[in-house]
Amino acid sequence: MFEKVLIANRGEIALRIHRACKEMGISTVAVHSQADTTAMHVRLADESVCIGPAAAAKSYLNIPAIIAACEITGAQAVHPGYGFLAENARFAEILAAHGYVFIGPRPEHIRIMGDKIAAKRTVTAAGIRVVPGSEGALSNEEDAFEAAAAIGYPVLIKAAAGGGGRGMKVAASPDDLAEAFATARGEAKASFGDDAVYMERYLSRPRHVELQIIADAFGAVCHLGERDCSLQRRHQKVMEEAPSPAIDVAARDAIGEVAVEAVRAIGYLGLGTIEFLYEAGEFFFIEMNTRLQVEHPVTEAITGIDLVREQIRIAAGLPLSFTQAEIEFEGHAIECRINAENPRTFAPSPGLVTDFHAPGGLGVRLDSALYAGYAFPPYYDSLAGKLIVHGRDRTECIARLKRCLGEMVVAGIETTIPLFQDLLEEPDILEGRYDIHWLERWIKAQS
Amino acid sequence: MPNTKAPAGPFDMRHVRELADILNESGLTEIELDRDGLRIRVAKSPPASVATWAPPPAAGAGPIQAQPAAAQTIEPSGETVTSPMVGTVYLQPQPGAEPFVKVGDMVAEGQTLLLLEAMKTMNPIAAPRAGRIIEFLVADTQPVEYGEPLVVIG
Repeated sequence: MFEKVLIANRGEIALRIHRACKEMGISTVAVHSQADTTAMHVRLADESVCIGPAAAAKSYLNIPAIIAACEITGAQAVHPGYGFLAENARFAEILAAHGYVFIGPRPEHIRIMGDKIAAKRTVTAAGIRVVPGSEGALSNEEDAFEAAAAIGYPVLIKAAAGGGGRGMKVAASPDDLAEAFATARGEAKASFGDDAVYMERYLSRPRHVELQIIADAFGAVCHLGERDCSLQRRHQKVMEEAPSPAIDVAARDAIGEVAVEAVRAIGYLGLGTIEFLYEAGEFFFIEMNTRLQVEHPVTEAITGIDLVREQIRIAAGLPLSFTQAEIEFEGHAIECRINAENPRTFAPSPGLVTDFHAPGGLGVRLDSALYAGYAFPPYYDSLAGKLIVHGRDRTECIARLKRCLGEMVVAGIETTIPLFQDLLEEPDILEGRYDIHWLERWIKAQS
Repeated sequence: MPNTKAPAGPFDMRHVRELADILNESGLTEIELDRDGLRIRVAKSPPASVATWAPPPAAGAGPIQAQPAAAQTIEPSGETVTSPMVGTVYLQPQPGAEPFVKVGDMVAEGQTLLLLEAMKTMNPIAAPRAGRIIEFLVADTQPVEYGEPLVVIG
């Protein structure tokens, strides 16, 4: 096992990794920018190295500085967290070339999954479905009917040159297809000067459901169930829960099996997340994230498995500490991403945190780098903390979450705590009836 | 040097205050005290400006919060050359060789003061201007962080 790990990140995730290391008897090196000298990850780590000025490009993304920090501290491995260099295949290769272990997947898999087309081709070959669509442009009505029959209704006809919703028409059944096809072509021609259109399955109210997978170097592959991350604003996840209110045991087992087989076929190593759109019982691949996810604690809450610990073990050449049969899903967990933002306008709110109180009690976890007296810097993302609450069922979990949001105090800066308090009064949220468009619609209706 | 958390030795801020008082009374510009490995230097030159930021004014009402006071650095007189990167300091071109420069030497602008090794590459650190070497703030083979003071040129 490693004796010393360098954490190439900041904020709550740097703390999260530090905690796993300390429990494993590994000493930690924090790296930081000049703006983060007083940050909690720097204060808690065993050693710290200032690697550059405030701008992330010159500090947290500065590969030579991070390698040099490994050299002067004698760290053996680097955990990249999420964001920054976590999905940078070149960083993983440079570390390896200098004799340091990258705590993450192999560079080739980071590279493949970072390329949308290569990723879809790879997972399709490994048995995972993508949103079905036509191969290239449809030149006439006959081709359109043939393609729609193969894809399955409802279908969306889209301008090949398009964007912004123009040249997009939905056909719910064969009865609508001829008209939709003609209209889409006409709009495409008018808007883009090109009447080429293609077709894919239309998902009207999809959910974002993602599967946590993990693989060691000995061929063991497991899935740790799903997370439902449908509540999003501008493609940013806001609240996540596990299990998904929309998925039952049979659906979980089925997609889990497909995902595990695909991961094995690809030869993937380490922790990863396969993201799907889910509608009417079907899963369609969006992308695969080759890193630890922000929302990993909801999976930890329902499985009792420390995912960062497993990542470090795998990187050190050890096998998974559990088998698929040993994984049990217990109760329900929800995570709120509390941002330093105005809860209505979402305007960033950096500044001095004058008071701070963390909620506590059974089933409560707060991953946050805040403290009273901390100057929340304006240079990085606005995540102020993740509140993760676990209950024996979804009802208990929600009651506990409401209690915690009322208990938490962050003074001096604005946070999105009131947003979550409002959301937890909405019948759709309480009953788990939401899709990936729900939050945007709700925010629009509020203003 | 990377910040390693060892138990802090006894350090009494009163020493600094006393020295500062002597400095003010005596009209000197600089006093340095070295005792049992504890070295305190007080000097009168203005503190280096510390880059800081202020939060945007709150959208609503309410006073703008005070920022924590910028760290008051006690700066020796002369110009301090800081490290442009994380790395390891070498004061001579190779082991056993003469150092690039010594305290008291006159240096020309652009003259190499020391080497910083990062990623197996030796990076020469040049004098930003001509002047006399007043002090080295780092030792040979010492690891340094970004922004760490290296040399004072008077």
